[in-house]
Amino acid sequence: MSEVRCLNCLKRFTVHSQVKEASCPHCKTKYRISWPTPNQAKVRGLA
Amino acid sequence: MWNRKIAIVDLSAKTVTAKPIPREIRKKYLGGRGLNMYLLYNHLQPNVDPLGPENLLLVGSGLLAGIPCLGSGRCDIAAKSPLTGAVGDSNIGGFFAPELRLAGYDHVAITGKADSPSYLLLKDGAIEIKDASHLWGKDTFDTQEALRRDEHDEKLVSLVIGVAGENLVRYANVRTGMKNAAGRTGMGCVMGSKNLKAIAARGTTPIEFADPDNLLRYCREMNEMITSTRWAKAQSRWGTMIIYSNTNTTGLIRTRNFQLNRLVDGEDLEPENIDRYSIGTSGCFGCAVHCRHRYVLKEGPYAPLYGEGPEYTSLGAFGTMLDCRKMETILVANHLVNKYGLDTLETGGLIAWAMELYEKGLINEESTDGLQLKWGNEDVVFDLIRKIAYREGFGDTLADGFKPAIAKVGTDSEYYAIHVKGMSNLHSDERPTPSFALGIATSTRGADHLRSRPAIDMYGLPENMLKEIYGGSVATDYSSYDGKSRMVWWQERLYAVTDALGVCKFQTVFCAVHAPKWREFSTLINLATGMTITEDELMRVGERIYTLERLFNLREGFSRQDDSLPDRYFTEPTPIGLPVAKGKKIDREKFDAMLTEYYDLHGWNLQGVPKSETLKDLNLSKEPSKLF
Amino acid sequence: MQRILVVDPERCTGCRLCEAACSLFKEKKCAPEHARVQVTKWENQGIYIPIVCQQCETPICEVVCPMHAIKRDSNTNAIVIDENTCVGCRLCAQFCPIGGISIDENASRLIKCDLCSGDPVCVEFCQPEALKHIEPLKLGTMKKRTAAEKYSEYLRKTLDTH
Ligand SMILES: [Zn+2]
Repeated sequence: MSEVRCLNCLKRFTVHSQVKEASCPHCKTKYRISWPTPNQAKVRGLA
Repeated sequence: MWNRKIAIVDLSAKTVTAKPIPREIRKKYLGGRGLNMYLLYNHLQPNVDPLGPENLLLVGSGLLAGIPCLGSGRCDIAAKSPLTGAVGDSNIGGFFAPELRLAGYDHVAITGKADSPSYLLLKDGAIEIKDASHLWGKDTFDTQEALRRDEHDEKLVSLVIGVAGENLVRYANVRTGMKNAAGRTGMGCVMGSKNLKAIAARGTTPIEFADPDNLLRYCREMNEMITSTRWAKAQSRWGTMIIYSNTNTTGLIRTRNFQLNRLVDGEDLEPENIDRYSIGTSGCFGCAVHCRHRYVLKEGPYAPLYGEGPEYTSLGAFGTMLDCRKMETILVANHLVNKYGLDTLETGGLIAWAMELYEKGLINEESTDGLQLKWGNEDVVFDLIRKIAYREGFGDTLADGFKPAIAKVGTDSEYYAIHVKGMSNLHSDERPTPSFALGIATSTRGADHLRSRPAIDMYGLPENMLKEIYGGSVATDYSSYDGKSRMVWWQERLYAVTDALGVCKFQTVFCAVHAPKWREFSTLINLATGMTITEDELMRVGERIYTLERLFNLREGFSRQDDSLPDRYFTEPTPIGLPVAKGKKIDREKFDAMLTEYYDLHGWNLQGVPKSETLKDLNLSKEPSKLF
Repeated sequence: MQRILVVDPERCTGCRLCEAACSLFKEKKCAPEHARVQVTKWENQGIYIPIVCQQCETPICEVVCPMHAIKRDSNTNAIVIDENTCVGCRLCAQFCPIGGISIDENASRLIKCDLCSGDPVCVEFCQPEALKHIEPLKLGTMKKRTAAEKYSEYLRKTLDTH
């Protein structure tokens, strides 16, 4: 589990461990996700 | 601490003298950029030719160089800029600053011109001007290797120029190691104009501290403070390229010069893809973040190749701005500019401009000596980099920077040139972020993000948190103009102090909120030097440094008109991007109001001239004073 | 259990925090030349290797010392030089096969790692964990896991495709 900040609405949302894609529950923007550390996610790009 | 010295070198007269740096100057300016600005403003005659022997080249270690935290190995290089005619100043990491201090000097002031290629050797208190004719023409990597070999010392650390500096390319940089560069404002060109190929340092004179035990403990705390931030963790893994993940996704990256604000199909430039080439990361002196990759290219026409980086800046300079979409293009171009000693951002910015002119028909193959400057044509990019460094054909036109190149190509071309005060901007697109836009306009060294960028503006932080950091009201929304002048003013002072202390900006409040700032700096200064400088006083030091740079530029003829943005920022809305970044442009009236507010915060009048009470308050009324 | 100081050059980023921290702790100054641990570099190839005394099981320095000034500290397992007995013949520095003992610039002092009474400062400062102070058995386990991870990646890929 980790959090990322949505680049569109700037709200944080939770992403599950090691997922490769996630959508912002607030504004629905869909992202590809990568993991600089096993416990920290970041946005990689748009899905 | 109080016996630390400045070396004064006259290359024409071949004389060298050393002087202690007085305590009152330290308290006012600290070291690094602060002390360099004091020296530059007070010892350089107004309106000199930046390439003349009278220009003063200043090299200074930060006040904290040598402490085990925050990347304390940073060195500041200053002179009047041959690119802009304004303040020339560039900061370089790596290992030079601590070695300079170990050699017995904190600062070096170089004037005059050597009558033949020379290098300066500072070794355990001794200074020699030595013959460098055998090094002339060598690239930046070979030059350093040759110096280590010639001096029979594998631990010798050098600042060097490449062929770009020798050929007086106006944005030639100064380099050390495989990757570190004092990139901006053409400090390598100034070295070239003085026939100075390198400055080499080596020493075993220990650097002493006021309270070593507590300093050690506190440095450990500082390293933990920075490495526990999300930003530093990601940066340790993929370097500054991680910024691309956010900016390209959002639509904040200049693409095809200034036509688009996102590289569409730009997946190959994602930082994650560096893993294909990386053999590990590398850190500057005293750095727990280690933000650059050591990469190897095993295939292709440029293989085998070992390089370091690339920075986020190179992804833009040779990627998005030129519409080159392959990581390998970036790796090769990065290697070439590093080898020749060219500033990445200026080189990429000028090539992007030329490509847009070619597309618009303002230049053609006749003026480019046959080069087909089409978007994404990587071979032309590699060729042009070399031609700039050697000043061949069209490369010679670009080698003088934007203002002379516009004059040569024609005034129609000016609209397409993305520069401020004659210096190319980073590939970032600041139209959706007024704070960033103001910062590149007010920067004393021309368009540049490292003078003030408040990257934490992008996080939508709550207003109470922003108020606590910035000491006044700042809007949460990054597209707002409210309070953004305050943000820029605050960051300008913080970065001025950061550069004076010689620690890394990435380990302060740049992209991470919970990173060292005034209080931590004040504590470090006290433990390292014994000086007590409160947080408030430290902010005044920042103000003093920035105001002195302002005074320098005013004396050289710059004014409020120069604190502006290229027209396109005001006229063309961003065409693509996430809803938050799409359809944005800078509002001219709001920008002007923000600029006035900003002057007022600095204590400058409507024209951007420091008021007499400001100068008095900063103890600047008596400048110029002289150290030598 | 005794611990050993382990160097993993593949993780070293060449930042020299170890040198700066070691000399600040031991010498109360920044004096990389006097640091007990020093990073040897091939700058143009990106190769960085920290070198530090390995506190050998059969220390050659101890063997060659004519004064028997070199002994193992049973608390830390470090090989230490007794300054009162040492006559400064420098044989230890000359015979050490890995440069674990340095001679200072005045040739008046021998400089050697003593594991900081059991908690080496360099280890505390080494963010990428190129320097580790671990129980001897852990080294083998660690190395085996690193090697096994490569196989496991391969196995996972194979399983994925099925
Ligand atoms: Zn959202």
